[in-house]
Amino acid sequence: MTALPSPNHCCSSSSSAYSVNSSIGFHQIQRNIPFSLIPQKKFGSKNVSFRSKCSPSLPDVVLMQDAPSPKELKEGLLTVEDRNTVVSDGKGDDSTVSITIVGASGDLAKKKIFPALFALYYEDCLPEHFTIFGYARSKMTDAELRDMVSRTLTCRIDKRENCGEKMEQFLKRCFYHSGNYDSEENFTELDGKLKEHEAGRVSNRLFYLSIPPNIFVDAVKCASRSASSANGWTRVIVEKPFGRDSESSAALTRSLKQYLEEEQIFRIDHYLGKELVENLSVLRFSNLIFEPLWSRKYIRNVQLIFSEDFGTEGRGGYFDHYGIIRDIMQNHLLQILALFAMETPVSLDAEDIRNEKVKVLRSMRPIRVDDVVVGQYKSHTRGGLSYPGYTDDKTVPKDSLTPTFAAAALFIDNARWDGVPFLMKAGKALHDRRAEIRVQFRHVPGNLYNRNVGTDTDRATNELVIRVQPDEAIYLKINNKVPGLGMRLDRSNLNLLYKARYTKEIPDAYERLVLDAIEGERRLFIRSDELDAAWSLFTPVLKEIEEKKVIPEYYPYGSRGPVGAHYLAARHNVKWGDVGVDE
Amino acid sequence: MTKLLSNPCCHPSSSTTFSCFHNESLCSSKKMAALPISGHFSKWPPKSFTRIQLRRSDFELRSSNGYPLNAVSLQDEGSVVNPLAEEPNFSDSAEGDSTLSITVVGASGDLAKKKIFPALFALYYEDWLPENFVIFGYSRTKMNDEELRNMISRTLTCRIDQRENCDDKMTQFLKRCFYHSGQYNSEEHFSELDCKLKEKEGGRLSNRLFYLSIPPNIFVDVARCASTRASSTTGWTRVIVEKPFGRDSESSSELTKCLKQFLNEDQIFRIDHYLGKELVENLSVIRFSNLVFEPLWSRNYIRNVQFIFSEDFGTEGRGGYFDNYGIIRDIMQNHLLQILALFAMETPVSLDAEDIRNEKVKVLRSMKQLLLENVVVGQYKGHSKGGKTYLGYTDDPTVPNNSVTPTFAAAALFINNARWDGVPFLMKAGKALHTRRAEIRVQFRHVPGNLYKHTFGTDLDLATNELVLRVQPDEAIYLKINNKVPGLEMRLDRSDLNLLYKARYTREIPDAYERLLLDAIAGERRLFIRSDELDAAWALFTPLLKELEDRKIAPELYPYGSRGPVGAHYLAAKHNVRWGDLTGED
Repeated sequence: MTALPSPNHCCSSSSSAYSVNSSIGFHQIQRNIPFSLIPQKKFGSKNVSFRSKCSPSLPDVVLMQDAPSPKELKEGLLTVEDRNTVVSDGKGDDSTVSITIVGASGDLAKKKIFPALFALYYEDCLPEHFTIFGYARSKMTDAELRDMVSRTLTCRIDKRENCGEKMEQFLKRCFYHSGNYDSEENFTELDGKLKEHEAGRVSNRLFYLSIPPNIFVDAVKCASRSASSANGWTRVIVEKPFGRDSESSAALTRSLKQYLEEEQIFRIDHYLGKELVENLSVLRFSNLIFEPLWSRKYIRNVQLIFSEDFGTEGRGGYFDHYGIIRDIMQNHLLQILALFAMETPVSLDAEDIRNEKVKVLRSMRPIRVDDVVVGQYKSHTRGGLSYPGYTDDKTVPKDSLTPTFAAAALFIDNARWDGVPFLMKAGKALHDRRAEIRVQFRHVPGNLYNRNVGTDTDRATNELVIRVQPDEAIYLKINNKVPGLGMRLDRSNLNLLYKARYTKEIPDAYERLVLDAIEGERRLFIRSDELDAAWSLFTPVLKEIEEKKVIPEYYPYGSRGPVGAHYLAARHNVKWGDVGVDE
Repeated sequence: MTKLLSNPCCHPSSSTTFSCFHNESLCSSKKMAALPISGHFSKWPPKSFTRIQLRRSDFELRSSNGYPLNAVSLQDEGSVVNPLAEEPNFSDSAEGDSTLSITVVGASGDLAKKKIFPALFALYYEDWLPENFVIFGYSRTKMNDEELRNMISRTLTCRIDQRENCDDKMTQFLKRCFYHSGQYNSEEHFSELDCKLKEKEGGRLSNRLFYLSIPPNIFVDVARCASTRASSTTGWTRVIVEKPFGRDSESSSELTKCLKQFLNEDQIFRIDHYLGKELVENLSVIRFSNLVFEPLWSRNYIRNVQFIFSEDFGTEGRGGYFDNYGIIRDIMQNHLLQILALFAMETPVSLDAEDIRNEKVKVLRSMKQLLLENVVVGQYKGHSKGGKTYLGYTDDPTVPNNSVTPTFAAAALFINNARWDGVPFLMKAGKALHTRRAEIRVQFRHVPGNLYKHTFGTDLDLATNELVLRVQPDEAIYLKINNKVPGLEMRLDRSDLNLLYKARYTREIPDAYERLLLDAIAGERRLFIRSDELDAAWALFTPLLKELEDRKIAPELYPYGSRGPVGAHYLAAKHNVRWGDLTGED
């Protein structure tokens, strides 16, 4: 094992150079670890995951055309592979994974979870022995479930071969069990069916709770008591919301922990599974040129921007109870911020990364209500079309003050970031759909080209943009001389458009996250203390907004959001990068 | 005057009493002082004279694309700030009554036909030339104005992006072109030229630019004759000189000394057309107008810098001149070294020519002596490929059969200052290679304590960041970064953050000669080589060249059209460098 390329297993990837077809041996290690242990370093570093079969080429070697070809390298590593194959042999054939989707008839299950599982199957990322169970209250047969599932399955654009065939094989592995979410009896029945499919092999079980938060604990209790694996691992994926504030979140965590250990709980934040969020750490830590710039010395401000171009569209019931700050900011944007701003972790292990993220969150200054702008969209008529306002939604109370837009300025009081505003902006029913990270750099001290830049030196600064969606891209705005005889400067982009560079379709965030959960890779899931820190940052300001009944600033459906966001930015000497004409 | 007569470089002409048909007194030799009339060009231009201001003062600003010259165009701004508006416009009065006469000495030569006249036409076409200008061709060939125009017109082309009225413009341009035939060392003939120029100038303030497109052995003669007989009496007189500026320290300083008999430092414009290339111009912009590069611009982050020049053709029957100089003098000592100096210099006090050139000289003077062991020379040999035979260098009939003149050279240079100590600056230049290109490659160090180490294999230096400025062809800037390959696994890959000029800018990029001519007209010296710069450049290369030649070092032979001698790889390896252009990636 010492010959493995790395002991600190990198992110979600495999840490070893498995050959393409070494499909054997999931979790021979986890199996041996009782769940009562908190997985600290030991867990992280020992935990070998087997992602290699998903990657058609050698997983752990950077592609460098001036280096020996992957093929040559692979041949060089054959001995290592052989050894690993031997190690995993004997254990591989007798372990199974059973994935139970609790709330199988729901929207998320149909639109995201089943398609993600199929994509993983299609890409050969699932272990040899697996079964998928749908669990919900609706009465349905296996065939009916398969029928329902099959309607939303799609094949990856880049490999449509055998899609029909694969789909059929996949559906054969899908089953359904109908039951109540709070009935241990029904879960015991499920356990019986699972056992039947597991056929005496080591059984690993993953429960995906795709259900409303008020029944989380019931379902967890039943699953844990009546349907836990007796000889393998049992893990539970939980979807947001994780409470409404510090208290409710802590209560939920407490309840969950009555039945589950910390390392069994996989709190999903699907933004952390986005390709470019994953790439954020790669950019920072595998390139020399960014890290020296990554501090208050060079960065003037950071902007985390999320916008949707549609409103609640008749489904505002859930949203109205939470609002945009809880729905987007406190989780997605804050998580990205933490990844962006964290110190270099000791290793890429989940615990090391999450330790650093918690440190960032705990270094953050409490958010002042002055530093938050809330908005709510109102109806708007454009081009003969009428778009309803938020309170026109039948599922939303007429007098709702729930923000559908929010902007906030946050600060990290540590040595690296003191004084640098981190601006967040999230909104529904805006003019476009996007999620991006913008890093605006300071102006050039003593700029020789000042006279070419005009009076406001901050306007012509460098900016690094990481566009998470749509059209994944990274670009760096630089000042450049406009070709020609004069000396005119202009901003040009050093550009990396994913579409142009990579032909493979980028996997959905859910695929990555489900796979990570199966492999026990916790890097992209939110640990309890992270969640606590995130809530303690936002809870006071949320309370204040709600107690004072702060009236949101109204903005027309499809607009660029309330102007208050600009004033907030201006107060911190920031200009939103996304509303410039050049975008 | 006494100094002039006692100088050995000077070949005093007999014609001291030359008269001109329409204004005897003005043309008398007594008024034609050998040294320019004081007050017009004996002083350095004041510091505040930047290129742009000068252009504005010489004639009304006419930026061809409608944008103000001086403002950054920020597309996220509604309007463009125009700093020009507030500044006094002192060009109006000067515009009407000043003239510019450009004399191309050696007008029948190749450079004149291919580069100088087309560049002048392009400037005219784009409205960069002042209202009153004339162009004179001067050479020994007997020709009349019409024949010159005929000759020129064959090489004029219109810019791709604005073909409107091209014929019109061309006709108008040619009407401003004249010819005067004369000997290069005849003061009398230059006096005749002076009279013709005067006639065209029509009594207006006269500024005169001489472009010496002639072999180096007659530089001084022409400078003497032009200066003594055809200098402007009322405006400035400037002389553009083309390389070679000598063969070594001695001959170069001799040439400078001789030129300075007749010209002041600020009248001499030594052209290095690489400095007029768009991306070389942009090098300073990239460094000094962006925050993100300057912090990285030192030995702390940069592992090595590579300056690469290659041509995909040989001397092709015109090796006579080249054989006397070799690739080191022809490309390295000037073009590549100039770019190196611009790349490595400290931040200048301002963008003024003197400030920039001061910093360049400092870099050149900080350079460690170039050792023979840090140089590899090569010469191309004949090669047959695909049924075609390419001649070797010594097969060229104009080249001696036993020539050891290098057609390829690679060198490792070092700058002994705080910023660059220990960083290898590698140069490579060659003829008859597999590709034509000129580029600057900056290889950064590896990431200290790289968390993704195990994804890179054993050699961390292979996966480092690299900044490439491609000067030609297809101007581009790109930064190689490590990136995660999209997908479920964690594979890293090198991707480029890219700026391809063709894709971003639709306008054709002007030829280097246009920029340089315009600068000379505007008196902007930033891109011309000052005498002390030239001295420093020669001081660096002369000992090496002497050693190479004294010891008759045999060049490593490489096939025509190949990637050059392998010795270059060993040289790079010795300094822990891998050539960025031969990785198969580009």
